Amino acid sequence: MNGLDLLAISAWGVLLLKYWLTGQLAVLIHPNYFPLTVGAGFLLVGLTVWQGWVRWREPGQPQAVAPGGQLLPRSWGRFLLLSTAVVGLIVTPRPFTSQVALESGELWNMTRTLPQQFRPVSRPEERSLVDWVRLLNTYPEPDAYQGQKAKVQGFVVHPPESPVNRFFIARFVVTCCAADAYPVGLPVDMREGTAQTYKADTWLEIQGQMATGQVKGQRRLILKADKITPIKPPANPYLY
Amino acid sequence: MAALQQGLTLFFSLLVEAIPFLLLGVLFSSILLLWVEPEQLLKILPRHPLGGAVAGAVLGCLLPVCECGNVPVARRLLTQGIPASVAVGFLLGAPTINPIVIWSTWVAFRDQPLMVWGRVGLTLLVAVVVGWVFSVQKDLRPFLQPAVAQVMPPPMNQPQREPMLAGVPTGNFFALSGGKALPLETTGWNASRLLSRRGRWQMVWVNALTELRELGGVLILGTAVAAAIQVFTPREVILGLGQGPVTSVVAMLVLGTVVSICSTVDAFFALSFAGSFTAGALLAFLVFGPMVDLKGVSLLLTVFRPRAVLYLFLLAGLLTFVLTLAMNLYL
Repeated sequence: MNGLDLLAISAWGVLLLKYWLTGQLAVLIHPNYFPLTVGAGFLLVGLTVWQGWVRWREPGQPQAVAPGGQLLPRSWGRFLLLSTAVVGLIVTPRPFTSQVALESGELWNMTRTLPQQFRPVSRPEERSLVDWVRLLNTYPEPDAYQGQKAKVQGFVVHPPESPVNRFFIARFVVTCCAADAYPVGLPVDMREGTAQTYKADTWLEIQGQMATGQVKGQRRLILKADKITPIKPPANPYLY
Repeated sequence: MAALQQGLTLFFSLLVEAIPFLLLGVLFSSILLLWVEPEQLLKILPRHPLGGAVAGAVLGCLLPVCECGNVPVARRLLTQGIPASVAVGFLLGAPTINPIVIWSTWVAFRDQPLMVWGRVGLTLLVAVVVGWVFSVQKDLRPFLQPAVAQVMPPPMNQPQREPMLAGVPTGNFFALSGGKALPLETTGWNASRLLSRRGRWQMVWVNALTELRELGGVLILGTAVAAAIQVFTPREVILGLGQGPVTSVVAMLVLGTVVSICSTVDAFFALSFAGSFTAGALLAFLVFGPMVDLKGVSLLLTVFRPRAVLYLFLLAGLLTFVLTLAMNLYL
């Protein structure tokens, strides 16, 4: 344990606090775990600053109790911690893109086990994308929703081989952190114009009515758009 | 460029979620190392082979250490004469069956309670069975490294070949304050008892930070592997491997051995594969990973002879394989 070790560990504390203060934590993990991360950030910074002070006041502090075998040479741990923290401090984490949503292939199948319990939102226009998808999972008959009003927000995904006036409006759903993010989405049919008007990854708010139609050879729920408004990407890109 | 961005987001999200748990783990294990004397537990542990194995496996609830902290504890207990079944049950079970690990697994798999229960249940089963098998060997000493075997007392139920002077310990001792004495062979891991209160707490912090440096480095390497596999391997390859009931389990057993992430945070590693691998395979990683990994082997070799380590891993690995495969096929 020397000054460089303490610096490397405190750099991670600073990084955790930076993510919190800049709001970038929302891109990385579920809000339930913010307190854990923030607490760890303070603890890391506090512990290392205090140990640095102790060391400076009374040099020649004892080394750790040797735990036996070591996997990494001592300098590696310090180097890895410090270098990744520096990268983290420089790079701004970005939410996943429409490309990731497409590649996961989950926009169509909806095979994911969704939470067992949820409270259905009774007013259709107040349902978010994930509310719609959960509802469809529970009661998949698309005709049941025909004619219902809808207002959803999400980003644009252009699946290949779609009709010219169709795109997907999608969001990522997160239960723990970005590592388990999976996309949910609805096909959107425009009444006029082509879907390519809106570039992939553009954030939109779409108001319209639910209808049924053919998607990849299956009868599915489709959102007929009446009004499409471009919006700013939300600070918190995920749904939960 | 997009792939790199995705990889970085994945990498940092896993680390940000995992580091609080790692910090908690090293703090607990350091406090334990310096303040708790597990010898006190010896009196209450059952000596029956099966009961001992169960007790050893759930001992982790009282001594929450990850796989890196439990080998020194096991070594200490073995030299004090705990039965083999307890020691082996503890080595295999404790890294998983303890509050911090169960909590972090629950955080990662909040949606799939089966993963949490499955992890605890299967680990308990494997640890108890292997511990039970090892208890057939009444005298563990031929399995142990000579340095450990030397300080270990002979098993209790074995007739003594030479008369032993029970109340009169022999050898070299360190004299402690208060008229106590510490056998010379045990000072390696008992040195902290020579310290003052303040000195011991200072050792706790130094030890925790040192472990954090070491385990943090391993965690970063493991997370980089997870992110790289996710981003740079073609999706068809991952799905092809991850959806087969046998191939997925084998792949995860290998990953669990190679990727030596601490058990307090390995649930997050598994989580990044949740979309593409079978549930049985993820469980295989979560059960077998903490029992054996590259770091664990080098630690275990400080206690056991190589052949005993091999038996331990083969048995645990095969059991995990059969159980999780059965889960994939029949559940």
